[in-house]
Amino acid sequence: MNNYRDYYNYANNNYNQPNYKNTLNANIYDPYQGFIRGNMFPDLYNTYKLNKPVEIMPKNEQAELLTYIDALCFALIDLNLFLDLNPNDENAIRLYNEYRKEKDMYMRAYQDKFGPISLDSANLDGSTWKWIKSPWPWECEY
Amino acid sequence: MWKYEKKLEYPVNIRKKDLKMAKYLMAQYGGPDSELAASLRYLNQRYSMPDDRGKALLTDIANEELAHIEIIAAMISQLTKGASIDELEKAGLGGHYSMHDHGLFPANPNGVPFTSSYIETSGDYIADIESDMAAEQRARATYEHLMDMTDDIDILAPLSFLRQREVVHYQRFKELRNYYLEKKI
Repeated sequence: MNNYRDYYNYANNNYNQPNYKNTLNANIYDPYQGFIRGNMFPDLYNTYKLNKPVEIMPKNEQAELLTYIDALCFALIDLNLFLDLNPNDENAIRLYNEYRKEKDMYMRAYQDKFGPISLDSANLDGSTWKWIKSPWPWECEY
Repeated sequence: MWKYEKKLEYPVNIRKKDLKMAKYLMAQYGGPDSELAASLRYLNQRYSMPDDRGKALLTDIANEELAHIEIIAAMISQLTKGASIDELEKAGLGGHYSMHDHGLFPANPNGVPFTSSYIETSGDYIADIESDMAAEQRARATYEHLMDMTDDIDILAPLSFLRQREVVHYQRFKELRNYYLEKKI
C-alpha cells in the first residue's frame, strides 16, 4: 500500500463493491471519490466553477491515514442520510456496516500511532492525558 | 447527547492569508443562511416531525451542520492568522477588531450579529421542511457567490465540498416532503 489511492482500489476488491453498486437503489461512488466530491451519489452530483474534484494531497503518513478515515466517515454520513429515508435498503445497510468496520479499524490504527481523535480511544490510557496534545483540527498542518 | 471528534469533516489547510475572504465567509458563520442557523433550525424543528424518518433526518443533518460550522470557523481562523490591525482595517475588519480582536464572532460580513430570528420554526412540519429546502438553496447560492470571489484552491476546495452538501441536503429534505405528501402523513 504505497498511497491512499492504491488503498481504495484494494478496498474495492476486498469488499467486492461492484456487487453493491448493482443492487443499491442508487449508484454510489467509493468513499474517497465521494469524499472529494462531497457527494456519494453520482445522480445527485452537481458541480460549480471547478471542472474536476480537488484531490486531497496528504503531506505525510499521518495526513494520509486521516484521509482514509475522513473518506470512510464521509461515506457513513451520506449513507446515513440516505438510509433515514430508505430504511429497508438492505444493500445500503450492508455497505454502511462494511465502511463502519473499516473506519473503526483505521481509527484504531491512527489513534495508536498519532493520539486520540475520540474520547472513546483506548489510547487515552497512560501516565499523560493525551487528549490535550496537538494537533487541533483548525490548526492542521500535518 | 453529543460527542466531539478531534478532526474536521473536510480538511482545511489554507496557506495564504486573505482577510477579505475571511470577512465574506462570515456570511456562512453568522448570516441568516449560515451553518449555525441551519444546525439550530433543524435541531428546533425535529420535535415537530410526525414520524421516525423525519426525526432521524433532521437530527442527522443538524449534526452534520455543526461540523460545517467548525469548517467555516477553521477557514476564518486560518485566513486571519497573524493579521496586523492595519491589514484588518484595510479589509474592512476594523470594526470587528475593535470589539472582538482576532476572536471569532458569529456575525454576517457587515458585522450584523447572529440572531435567533434566523431560525424558522413554525411547528408545522410541511412548512418547516419547505423552509429548510429554501434555506439549503440559499446557502448553496451563497457558497457560489463565495466561490466567485476567490481563485485560491485552498479556499475553493472546502467551499466546493460545503456547497455540494447543500445540494444533497436539499434533495433529502425534498424526498422527505414528498414522502409525507404522498403518504398523507
